[in-house]
Amino acid sequence: MELSVVAVVPSRELEGACAVRFSSESASDGMAFGSSRKPILGNDVLKSWADRVRGLGVRSLWLASGGQDGKVDGSTLAQFVRQGVERLLLIKLKSYAEMDLADLVRFHSDRGNPITEAEDARGELGVCLLDRIALRSTTDGAASYRAADSGQMPYQFNGYAKRLLSATERQELVGDGLTGACAMKPLGTQIRDKVWVGEGVKIAPTARVIGPVYIGARTTIGAGATVGPFSSVEHDCVIDCGTTVEQSTVLPNSYLAPGLLIRNSQVDGRHLEHLRWGAVADLQPAQLGRRIEPRGSRRPLFSRADKNDFFSRPGSPFPWEFGTAPAMAQPWLQVQL
Amino acid sequence: MKDVVWKVMNFPGDLGSEGRRALRKELLGALRASGCAVIVDLSRRQSLDHHDIDLLLECAACVAGRDAKLIFVAGSPTLRALLEVSRIASVVPVCNSTEEAFTYPQIAAETIHVPAHIKDMGAQQ
Repeated sequence: MELSVVAVVPSRELEGACAVRFSSESASDGMAFGSSRKPILGNDVLKSWADRVRGLGVRSLWLASGGQDGKVDGSTLAQFVRQGVERLLLIKLKSYAEMDLADLVRFHSDRGNPITEAEDARGELGVCLLDRIALRSTTDGAASYRAADSGQMPYQFNGYAKRLLSATERQELVGDGLTGACAMKPLGTQIRDKVWVGEGVKIAPTARVIGPVYIGARTTIGAGATVGPFSSVEHDCVIDCGTTVEQSTVLPNSYLAPGLLIRNSQVDGRHLEHLRWGAVADLQPAQLGRRIEPRGSRRPLFSRADKNDFFSRPGSPFPWEFGTAPAMAQPWLQVQL
Repeated sequence: MKDVVWKVMNFPGDLGSEGRRALRKELLGALRASGCAVIVDLSRRQSLDHHDIDLLLECAACVAGRDAKLIFVAGSPTLRALLEVSRIASVVPVCNSTEEAFTYPQIAAETIHVPAHIKDMGAQQ
């Protein structure tokens, strides 16, 4: 049975998704990233899912708009029914899971259920397989179709999985990647024990880099700065003189002023989220940090015309619930893997 | 027994350049007074700009190496985060409330006499 795969990307992040190159290029070579698609140790979570999909022998992936929380629009799925899709794998970008998708498909086939959701001990992982019958029910006016509601057994995943819904969970994944607790490896060259750097990184001779740490491509670490341990400074950042970054993540294109102490935090441009206090502070008025323009050319894979339909559509309040909605001209995009 | 004169100073939420100059004068004057302990209450602030950071650093520099005491009251996790990021929290104690500031160990060890009206002021906030 032919399998189609849809990755559900939050609508405001689709522009970044459209710019991803799935072939051999890294996330650090990608373009803009939204909150669930910010690179983690230089890796793109969508790309990691795409790699797993490629392992199924599937050669293309559909990107669908899913609203802020990744909820999917029923009309998007209705389009697949019209296309005659027999089986659909839906992946919401809410988690990173080292899942054997072939095993999930086998489980689904063996059970003969129209819908199979993957979950671990903490609940659903945002991965779901639907057969045509389940897809059809989404377009025939059924309000919802959930595996749990119909008493169907979910696929129990026991491997490594991490939700990516909060900065704290992202930081945990960074720590696991740096220490080898998961399969996600920092994208770069290992220059010494537990220290990885991307291409074009500039580190001042007086800067201290304490592993485990990752420094993304084209990032500059100023004189007297300290980065690490358990930190990730993603691509195109500038950590100015004397600033310390420990147990923190600095997201792409962020500038941090001299002499700062960034601890247990996630910095995204001008915004800092303190992971322990749950506080979000604006660094820009105090001139402590800001967003810097990405360097180099940024050419998206798809033209603006392709993307307009996606961006103009509001998100729908469905998790795995599907309802009828007016048909859209082109509610998805297809990318070759 | 050492007597310490307490002064709780509010950092207003909205400061013009004129108000900032007056506040700076008042703050530094209080800190320069011998034997004075100052609690700067920032809890009315939602955020800090670079002028605020400069002034707070100036206060920290003013008490360095002297017997004056200085405590900042952050009031919110956001402000606390900014004080940590700017390293102000590394050189000046930061408390969550004026009540907490009054019981700060370093201050309590001085066996201080807190004037009643200042105590009331702290309690009201």
